Amino acid sequence: MAASATSAGPATPAVPPGADGLLFQVLRRSGHWPAVYAVTALAGAVVELLLPAALGEAVDDLVGPAALLPDAGTAAGLTIPSGALLHCLLLVTVLVACDAVAVFAAGAGGAQAARLLRLRVVRHLLGAGPAVTRRFSPGDLVTRAGANTDEVGTAPESIITAVALLVPAAGSLVALALIDIWPALAFAAGLALVALVLRAFLHGTTAAAGGYQQAQSDIAARLIDALSGARTIAAAGTEEREVHRVLAPLARLRTHGMALWRVNARAGVQAALAVPLLEIAVIGVSGVRLAAGEMSTGELFAAARYAVLGAGIGAALGQLNRLGRARSAARRVREVLGHPVPAYGEAHLPATGDAGRRGTAGRDAGDHRNGVGKDAAHRNLAGRDVDDPRPLSSGLGLPTGAGHAERGRLELRDVTVRVDGRPALRGVSLTVPGGAALAVVGRSGSGKSLLAAVAGRLVDPDEGEVLLDGMPLPRLAHDALREAVGYAFERPVLFGATIGEAIAVGRPDGAARAAARAAAADPFVRRLPRSYDTLVDDAPMSGGERQRIGLARAFAHGGRLLILDDATSSLDTVTEYQVARALTEELRDRTRLIVAHRAATAARADLVVWLEEGQVKGRGTHQALWRDPGYRAVFTVAAAERE
Amino acid sequence: MKALRVRRRPPGHGESGTPSRVWEVPRRALRERRGHLVRLLCWSFAEAAPSFAAGQAIAHALDDGFAAGRPLTGLGWLGVLAAAWLVGALGARQGLLALAGIVEPFRDELLRHVVDGTLHRAAALGTRPDNAAVARLTRQVELARDAFGSVIAVVRSFLFSVTGVVFGVLTLMGAVLPLVLLPLAAGLALFAISLPAMARAQRTLILAEERTAASLAGVVDGLRDVTACGAEERVAAAAGLDVERQARAARALARLTAVRTVALAIGGWLPILLVLVAAPALVRQGATAGMILGTLTYVAQSLTPALGGLVQGAGVNGVRLMTALQRISATSARPPATTGDAGPPPGSALRLRGVRFAYGPGADPVVGDLDLAVPDGDHLAVVGPSGIGKSTVAALVAGVLRPDAGQVLIGGVPVGELGPAALRRARVLIPQEAYVFRGTLRDNLAYLADDPSQADLDRAAEAVGMVELAGRLGGYDDEVDPGELSSGERQLIALTRAYLSPARLVLLDEATCHLDPAAEARAEEAFAARGGTLIVIAHRLTSALRARRVLVMDGNRAQVGTHEEMLAASGLYRDLTGHWDGTGHAQVRTPVAGLRHTSR
Repeated sequence: MAASATSAGPATPAVPPGADGLLFQVLRRSGHWPAVYAVTALAGAVVELLLPAALGEAVDDLVGPAALLPDAGTAAGLTIPSGALLHCLLLVTVLVACDAVAVFAAGAGGAQAARLLRLRVVRHLLGAGPAVTRRFSPGDLVTRAGANTDEVGTAPESIITAVALLVPAAGSLVALALIDIWPALAFAAGLALVALVLRAFLHGTTAAAGGYQQAQSDIAARLIDALSGARTIAAAGTEEREVHRVLAPLARLRTHGMALWRVNARAGVQAALAVPLLEIAVIGVSGVRLAAGEMSTGELFAAARYAVLGAGIGAALGQLNRLGRARSAARRVREVLGHPVPAYGEAHLPATGDAGRRGTAGRDAGDHRNGVGKDAAHRNLAGRDVDDPRPLSSGLGLPTGAGHAERGRLELRDVTVRVDGRPALRGVSLTVPGGAALAVVGRSGSGKSLLAAVAGRLVDPDEGEVLLDGMPLPRLAHDALREAVGYAFERPVLFGATIGEAIAVGRPDGAARAAARAAAADPFVRRLPRSYDTLVDDAPMSGGERQRIGLARAFAHGGRLLILDDATSSLDTVTEYQVARALTEELRDRTRLIVAHRAATAARADLVVWLEEGQVKGRGTHQALWRDPGYRAVFTVAAAERE
Repeated sequence: MKALRVRRRPPGHGESGTPSRVWEVPRRALRERRGHLVRLLCWSFAEAAPSFAAGQAIAHALDDGFAAGRPLTGLGWLGVLAAAWLVGALGARQGLLALAGIVEPFRDELLRHVVDGTLHRAAALGTRPDNAAVARLTRQVELARDAFGSVIAVVRSFLFSVTGVVFGVLTLMGAVLPLVLLPLAAGLALFAISLPAMARAQRTLILAEERTAASLAGVVDGLRDVTACGAEERVAAAAGLDVERQARAARALARLTAVRTVALAIGGWLPILLVLVAAPALVRQGATAGMILGTLTYVAQSLTPALGGLVQGAGVNGVRLMTALQRISATSARPPATTGDAGPPPGSALRLRGVRFAYGPGADPVVGDLDLAVPDGDHLAVVGPSGIGKSTVAALVAGVLRPDAGQVLIGGVPVGELGPAALRRARVLIPQEAYVFRGTLRDNLAYLADDPSQADLDRAAEAVGMVELAGRLGGYDDEVDPGELSSGERQLIALTRAYLSPARLVLLDEATCHLDPAAEARAEEAFAARGGTLIVIAHRLTSALRARRVLVMDGNRAQVGTHEEMLAASGLYRDLTGHWDGTGHAQVRTPVAGLRHTSR
């Protein structure tokens, strides 16, 4: 994925400058459909414009004074169609053919353009990753990738439609004037009047609509209330009573609804009268001209038809608005496409951590400022190694670190990350030896989650670098990085159709089950209606259960480094204990970076980094730090915030 | 929020309990509002006035007026036409109001159906739609209402326009009627033939659009997680499938729309051409130029727009109506009722015999062969890790869930045989999420009781510890806004409500988890002293210490005994007591943090 998004090959064209550039690119890439639509729509528009004149001519030919002569147009009792009639026939045939082809071309072309653009936006979003949500809110992104992309996709069609509507409407006015100037003047005067009337009708609707929507949302709010008490209601058997209560605002809804109908009825009458009265005015003036011998019957008919066609000018002008909308939509889509996509390298991690170690060993040894009590860590690890059981990872089918305690070594060097221009992490340096557990603590807003995001390259630092086993993260290939690092979050978002897929995400089933067991998720998953094959949508989960699935997913993926960002906050005590045991026993060969809110979690870690306002305020073991009242205060505040 | 999972549907029942009900709503709306329908039809005559008058007025204006050199007569006829349009507009207005009289009750009925179905389903199945799903449902109702109104309007308008045209042409020049009607019939037939395919294509597209929208929202929401798992390629491919599907559906619909355009052309243009072809012959039979023009006016002005409206209205709005109704029916069909009709049981002793329950045939049982006897007046605490099935046991005992095997008896009567009222009088279940509705405090408290007196209310509030809260809320007759209460305050109200209920078997399913330990102790002691049987799903270990006996569930088996017996018999119970210090606060040095709320 990342490769196709970064290497701007033929599949992903460069992002053009400006909104119009994107519109033209969409137009060029929609194939021949816009051309077909343009030709047929414009041809249809021209034919539509010619047709009333041809019909009028045919009427004059067939029923005019000349046609009433004895032999006219007949031979041996057979009616021979006049030239004008054939003309009409031809025009109608062309019109219908054009219409049918245009409808198809517009639909197919719009679908094609929207499809290409949407695929591109989706790929771009996924390539850009979570960094894009720091610039655009999720709701905004959904609009840009959804409705806005649609508008850009249908932009070629909108432009052509506007032109195609404008041709007959504007042409009718010309044609009307060509037939006779007086009906044209009557038409123009009438049109001005209609515009005034239509402007008035927009006012009344908004007020009535407000009351209606209020009543509607009252009912929805009551329903949501009652649904939150579904178990109480089920146990009490009071469903009927609740239905009654929820529907109490129904009478009010009806009142506002009827008011809305009345407003619409009035507006509808005005709109419905406009065009016929305009036409009658044109016919009246034409009739007077006919009586004066200045116009023929056919011309009167044509004038009436042109009046109806010309009344469509308002709609045609309205279509032009769509062009403006398409341009602003294009601008919004372009902003998303212009968001940079982080590039991945091609390097792979050394099979053992040693290779990477060798390169950086000298620096580590000399750098006391950055080392996170490395010696203390080794002591902890060594002390624990004695009675620890065999690591689980071998059973998970993951690359194990057995024999290479240093595999999974994480280094941050002078890392600075800015959020909205303000540094949220400032010059953070730390080293986590392979296989160690590092707890990151600090008050909310101190930069814990950002540190977790930087450590596994969910976010690139603005300054400094992050290395895994001596390899700078940006040099790692996409798959190499994501197989080495696993993330678990406080509120994991699950994807994949079934629970099993949501955990595995590409890993073999066996690994997913083992990971689920380690995350204490297996027992509850197996009680779901279809066990691991239960659809995610059919498995309503509590926050704690969802966290366990998220943990299992992380365990199934991070072969060298596990990053847990407040990922056990909703677990009950017993379950949290089970997960903690898995982390310190079965998964101990992996480096663990744990964002912790609870003192007990920090106490279990080999090392603690204490952040304040984006900087490292202290580091060492929990026991050592606990002597600092400022450190202890972090946990009392955290507890108070969570109560 | 804790979730009881989807309950397996009882065998023999379909996907949705009563699927046909929602389909009757449109039909019933028309049948039951017959008065409005008649009014609508009457005003439709007025609305059709111009489609009848147009051709006649034009013909007369031309033949008797302008062409005959009497422009005033011509203008007079045009005045008649303008008057017809005014009458038509009035008819349209009144017709619309009559239509409102049909459509508004239709919307009400649909809303009632949605609310009724959603509530019953949530109660019976234990799953509930989230807020977004509720919003979607209300939108579907609005969509159905608009589509229903528009379908009635266009079908009616088409029928009346055609009738008006037929009468108009008949009075003007009856001979051309076949020339007008035959192409119209052909066009209609073509449209009718294409309609089912069209409806399918339209529906497919609506569904595909919804799926793409959901899939896009999923991509945006999951960006962090997708990147973290390195699953960009997989997710892009999955979303790509939805995008492709939507494009295919849009193309298929465009193809059919092209066919529809032809149908429209045959019905709309062919009559005009045929009249022109026949014109010389008609003129020879005495038709005037005005009559020909009048006929053309009928077709161009009335028939073609009415046909276009029908094709558009029935083709698009009809499908929209069907789709919305289908959606509503799928998400809000009422599940079959499952209660019996026996009267209240004689006592509150509880007996479970070999009770087994799983959430699906492929699922591990949550409760397997559970035997339990709780004598009348006993006080039992249920203990175990979260998600182990404690709430399932409470729901089984309360008769909200039915066991797959075995029996649950209250006072010796199988719980499934009790009627709704008897069930309500036999036991009360208060779940973790306390339900308080908008209404007076009195109504909220009296929810399960038979019209309690003021003294009853005061006594219950005093016992449970709600007096102070009642005072703060401004007394019993003030309106309560659940949104402004804390979770603990809502739980106090729910507890007092349970205290007032006539039921002798009380089930508290973590119903005190948001109270502080002292308030919890007071509430539990009130229920223990209330008489009857008390079963507490424990949130804190202190609940187990207060109970006479403890049921420990560890996922494989359930054991019952006193606190001391369980300490000796259950490793899990020992673990739990070791990690819970009974105060609700963390002991920092123990490997597991102290007791906390299991969910927020």
